[in-house]
Amino acid sequence: MTTSLANAWARAGALRARLLSTLVTLFGLLALTFFIGRVMPIDPVLSIVGPDADASTYQQVAVQLGLDQPLWVQFGRYLNELAHGNLGVSLLTGNPVGADIARVFPATLELATFAILIGTLAGVPLGVLAASHRGHWQDNAVRLLSLTGYSTPVFWFGMMGLLVFYAWLGWAGGSGRIDLAFDGLLPPVTGLMLVDSSLAGNWPAFGNSVRHLMLPAGILGLHSMAYISRMTRSFMLAQLSQEYILTARVKGLPESRVIWGHAFRNIRVQLLTIVALAYGGLLEGAVLIETVFAWPGFGQYLTNSMLLGDMSAVMGCVLVVGIIFVGLNLLSDLLYQVFDPRMH
Amino acid sequence: MSLARTLLTRGNGLLAALACLAALVLAAPAQAATPRDQLVIGMNMNNLLSLDPAGATGNDVLGVVANLYDYLVELDPHDLARVRPALAGHWVFADDRRSLTLTLREGVRFQSGRLLTADDAAWSLQRVLKLNLAMASPWKSYGFSAANAPRLIRALDARTLRIDFPEPTDPKMVLYTLATSVSAAILDRQAVLAHERNGDLGAAWLLTHAAGSGPFALTEWRAKDAMLMDRFNGYWRGPAKLRRVVMRHIPESLSLRFMITRGDVDLAAGMAGPDIEALKHDASVVVQPVLRGTSYYVALSMKNPRFADRRVRLALRSLIDYDGINKAIMPNYGVAHQRPVMIGLAAALPDPGYRLDVPRARKLLAEAGYPQGFRTTIRVLSDPPLINIATSLQATLALAGIDAEILSGTGNQVYGAMRDRKFDIVVGRGGGGVEPHPHANLRALVYNPDNSDAARLTNFQGWRTGFHSPAINRLIEEAVREPDEARQNAMYREVQRLYDSEVGAIQPIAQMQETVVLSRRVHGYVGHPSATTHLRDVHKD
Repeated sequence: MTTSLANAWARAGALRARLLSTLVTLFGLLALTFFIGRVMPIDPVLSIVGPDADASTYQQVAVQLGLDQPLWVQFGRYLNELAHGNLGVSLLTGNPVGADIARVFPATLELATFAILIGTLAGVPLGVLAASHRGHWQDNAVRLLSLTGYSTPVFWFGMMGLLVFYAWLGWAGGSGRIDLAFDGLLPPVTGLMLVDSSLAGNWPAFGNSVRHLMLPAGILGLHSMAYISRMTRSFMLAQLSQEYILTARVKGLPESRVIWGHAFRNIRVQLLTIVALAYGGLLEGAVLIETVFAWPGFGQYLTNSMLLGDMSAVMGCVLVVGIIFVGLNLLSDLLYQVFDPRMH
Repeated sequence: MSLARTLLTRGNGLLAALACLAALVLAAPAQAATPRDQLVIGMNMNNLLSLDPAGATGNDVLGVVANLYDYLVELDPHDLARVRPALAGHWVFADDRRSLTLTLREGVRFQSGRLLTADDAAWSLQRVLKLNLAMASPWKSYGFSAANAPRLIRALDARTLRIDFPEPTDPKMVLYTLATSVSAAILDRQAVLAHERNGDLGAAWLLTHAAGSGPFALTEWRAKDAMLMDRFNGYWRGPAKLRRVVMRHIPESLSLRFMITRGDVDLAAGMAGPDIEALKHDASVVVQPVLRGTSYYVALSMKNPRFADRRVRLALRSLIDYDGINKAIMPNYGVAHQRPVMIGLAAALPDPGYRLDVPRARKLLAEAGYPQGFRTTIRVLSDPPLINIATSLQATLALAGIDAEILSGTGNQVYGAMRDRKFDIVVGRGGGGVEPHPHANLRALVYNPDNSDAARLTNFQGWRTGFHSPAINRLIEEAVREPDEARQNAMYREVQRLYDSEVGAIQPIAQMQETVVLSRRVHGYVGHPSATTHLRDVHKD
């Protein structure tokens, strides 16, 4: 009884410590972003009033935005608003930042999720294939594919993809998330086109969304696949040189069993970590792909906000990115617990 | 081999699912063409920030506001000097040229259904001055202010609007401003005030909403994504021919090119020059250039002692490859032009014929004490054609020993430094020219009544560059008050000659040309030189 209470207390303490470190991390992230944003040579007032405004207009807008106050006062005000659950209003869209992020994030979530699925479903088997045929043509082919996918700029892939699959062949949808014919017709329930079209039972719109999604998601997926297959190969090679693999082979187990039942089983935890990190990276927004495909996502929103000095929007985005990474870390920790027997 | 087999076997379910999805996707209708009753415009919407006529800056918003709202008067896109009636059926200037009285049409209704009156017009113009945001600038240059606006801009009755000018000016200029400035859009006073917050006269709401009487009503605006405008059936001129106008944010020029060739957009605006050039050979589209009044220029800061020396400015004027830039870089972006007054006005002088002349530049630099040249910086936006002009300039400056480092950045960084007078050279675009009047250009590019740092006349590029010529200032002030048109034009020509001899700090290279690419299905689209392009008569096959 005493032992279990002590264990529970210890677990609660660990949880408290973790929560505290998360909050400190997020606070540090916000403070750093805020002060870097303020010393960057970008003037939000100029973004609003334009280059030809006179001095009185400029000054008036600066005062309205509170930019005449010391930095620490501005930051304090921001934290106070945040404590009340208010991310502020975007200077440049005039919308609450929360509403803006809620509008753009699903677009990136959909893109990133499909990209990571493609990257994982293709990258993991290819990595395993390369490792199990080390030094043979399969290995070289996978490494070449991985090198190509990793080193070719996604921007170029995007352009070429549009040229071939959209402009020439007409297989893929063009820019944007859906054709004009469907734009505005789907009730926005989740902001995820595939989900909303399914909920509405609008299968032509669903198909059309897939046509628009497959090219940008495929290109991002190729990029993720390159990374995941490389990492999978290296994890697998480390396992395949272990003695227990030799023992399994000596015992006469089929090669597929050795590969999947033993070696792969032991790299799942490491794979989870790198997939989670890759997913997190994609969720930050793939700016170049979003630009090429006019994909109204998180990456474009964050980049535009930064270029215009819209600090409320930038801070909101940074907070979201921070929470995503904290969340993914937590998720991969939980999955470790599930998959790693040593943690039981 | 066994591994490959295993992969295939285990992947059977997945393959089946993918096959179903592929069938669904291939069965999904590919958009063959945009609907006949809708115009789809592809453009970069990064600069489309506010829709409030009091604070909206940039050219892009002009095309939006011109279709959501009405103006009191309009300019004929084919002949800018011709003012056409709009909300005001007719107007008259006072004999002493100190006031303008406009008579509004009867029966015009806002999209809310309310009748539009002269009170709405007066309130809309007063609001611009009370808020003192970006678009108050042209009105303040005439001497209007938040304090005097209620007294000088008045509704005499429901149909009569009177505008008294605080200072002597050319009434035509005011009329042109009423026809071209975003700030002159007439708002539905009641609808706007219904959304007022903390005495902001509806400014927060109008960032993302509209309350006008124009041919189209704003249905949806997703910033940096899409804008939907639906036809307003109660429009006083009669309903627009199109049911809907959709603007889509397509920031990448090549993507836009693919989309217009496949028929997924009807009109592509703001494309890169090479993409436009490629489309000139495409039979399914029409390329339509429109000359605007702004200039591409090279600006020098006379706060820098080197550039304060007339000989150095003259040397730099001889180190610009006007011909090369205009032939190689400017097609589809601009046409060659070397004067501060825009092409096409009666007062415009022919180009002086400046050209690249390195020996002359070297000689002048030596006389000024820089036989080996010097080091300097060029600030420029990282977008074409500006960055290309800067690169050309960097190369030609080097021919005379001037080592120029290019500092490229956002508009914020380039023009911010210019406003603070902390720059050496800027390659930029600007200079008024919205109103078809020499004063509009000269006020923006040349005029500088007070060159002190404390004056902070940041809206005058003359002040930003530190160019100060009392003789030119005096002539500009006299010319805008001169009632005789022939004498006025002679004065403006004299200003240009003086600017040439005094070697102004801003050297125009080309006059801006905006080129749009239209599907052949689109008819009735006439790009407006003042960017107030009306879509009410546009229709499609």
